Amino acid sequence: MKVLTPEGEHAHLMTVNLGPAHPATHGTLRIAAALDGETIAGAACEMGYLHRGFEKMVEQGTYQMVLPFTDRLNYCSAMINNIAFCKAVEKMFAVEVPERCIVLRVILMELSRIIDHLVCVCTNLVDLGALTNFWYFFNVREEVYIVWEKLCGARLTNTVTRIGGMYRDAYPGFEDDVARVLTRIEAAVAEVRGLIEKNKIFMDRTKDICVVSAEQAVSYGWTGPCLRASGVDRDMRKDEPYYGYETYQFDTVVGTTGDTYDRIMIRIYEMLESVSICRQALGRLKPGPVNTSDARLSLPSRQQVYHDMEALINNFKLIYEGVRPPAGECYDAVEAANGELGFLITSDGGTNPYRIKVRPPCFTQYAALSEMLEGELVADFAASLGSINIIAGELDR
Amino acid sequence: MSATHDSTIPSTPLAAGVPADALLARLAERFQAVRDPLDRWDLTVLVAREQMRDCLRFLRDEPDLRFDMLLDVSGVDYLAFPGHRGARFAVQYPLKSTAFRHRIRVKVMVDENDCTVPSVHDLWKIADWSERETWDQYGIVFAGHPNLKRLLNHHEFSGHPLRKDYPCQKRQKLSVNDPMDDQLEARLVARGYTVVERGDRDLGTGAITHSAAVTPGATP
Repeated sequence: MKVLTPEGEHAHLMTVNLGPAHPATHGTLRIAAALDGETIAGAACEMGYLHRGFEKMVEQGTYQMVLPFTDRLNYCSAMINNIAFCKAVEKMFAVEVPERCIVLRVILMELSRIIDHLVCVCTNLVDLGALTNFWYFFNVREEVYIVWEKLCGARLTNTVTRIGGMYRDAYPGFEDDVARVLTRIEAAVAEVRGLIEKNKIFMDRTKDICVVSAEQAVSYGWTGPCLRASGVDRDMRKDEPYYGYETYQFDTVVGTTGDTYDRIMIRIYEMLESVSICRQALGRLKPGPVNTSDARLSLPSRQQVYHDMEALINNFKLIYEGVRPPAGECYDAVEAANGELGFLITSDGGTNPYRIKVRPPCFTQYAALSEMLEGELVADFAASLGSINIIAGELDR
Repeated sequence: MSATHDSTIPSTPLAAGVPADALLARLAERFQAVRDPLDRWDLTVLVAREQMRDCLRFLRDEPDLRFDMLLDVSGVDYLAFPGHRGARFAVQYPLKSTAFRHRIRVKVMVDENDCTVPSVHDLWKIADWSERETWDQYGIVFAGHPNLKRLLNHHEFSGHPLRKDYPCQKRQKLSVNDPMDDQLEARLVARGYTVVERGDRDLGTGAITHSAAVTPGATP
């Protein structure tokens, strides 16, 4: 298209589509960009290619039936979605899950955060041409998935929690497996850090590229690692602690520039903090029940169902009708790998959710992408898109 | 290294926020806000549509409140809600602060026959997209929005899928991709460019070459 530049000169801009099926989008996203030579003069982002109508689907079934759908939001850390949704429904019932369940959930959330960051960082580095890191990180990610398999039989879409507790208790030897994986993660992170942290090529490609200021980040509603990269020291685990996060020793990692480099390095450091939280949580894992005894949420034991009429009815009602939160509207959120993952649930007192609005963290980050890309080189598109970690599953729902 | 990881730097904790009762009293006095009857777990205030923008701006700018983060814009359709009376739709604005430990949700009821809410895209940048999504899903118009087009559903879609009277199984097909020239040109104009002549889309993956309606020699 022919344009007059801001300086008043005639120029010919080439309009190209980056995506929707581009190797660097790691999903289906489309960015229509107007290029002035190698520079992106203007960019318009489109989403919705993976829109499956999550919010319509969840209105058709019971609260329990929502859980497997939440796996398909951020599929790189499905367990965090499971836990966030269950935590929101438990808030409506004012039910506290047992101590062992809380500690297990913390371990699963932190391990999920680590594998989410592993995928984000290493695919980001692949986009920059640094393939070796991919193998280091995917090897340990695979080891976490083996733990997931042993824990619940599924790898990617786990549905590991239940409203009021867990699908099942951890298997014997779970603690040892997690402790071993944590050591391997530390080693892998150290190797990749050694390869990139002071690497001139990496720094040239990421330093001062696609800088997002603190004001921009807040105005766009950024949360999580990307917000912290811009220098805003906010983390829900510290600010509005849940599940006893205030009792764990860990640091919030904060960036200074808000460039691609900060966004990547913050995730590297956060993994080490999560390893530390996991270790502390392993020390607190004491035997005990993992499901609440509240009959409104939890199934009675098989023994009771076979011998007690009330328990049989309770079992039947929970399976065939589901849980009934009181009527009202409730918002609850957790600090997911990407930022604040919230569920705004409207209940009419029935067994089906009346309305569930998901507040996906990467929605806000993708909304800012146009502004981030403009004025930058087209070659930096892949690196900056990777650094805001767009997961199309939760973006499009 | 610009990402700091020094455990000697303590993270700055959030300051205590304004208690819900005090906040509600202030909003009630200033904007005639009332507590939402459906609110049982958080602080949700109902405000009239005419006062909504002022209320949101007040919450954002007041030094001891500083609700500087708009988390979401979320619609609700109360068509099938048992015992519901009054306006059919609601729009909710969950807010939080990066300075104080408090949260609030501002809720506006929207009538079906006058399905309009003022836009807040100038108060928070994220509102642009969030409002587009709410328009797409519920058909609620955000007056003053610069380009209120669909976000999640495709541009040939008709109807608003999250309305309770939209059938769950209904499918709609897309024949031609959205060229997105309107958005692209708006971005360019915002950066100081003047579009002199539109051309066909150049090569790119997934591109649909279309003949744009070019006014010969058009200068906007």
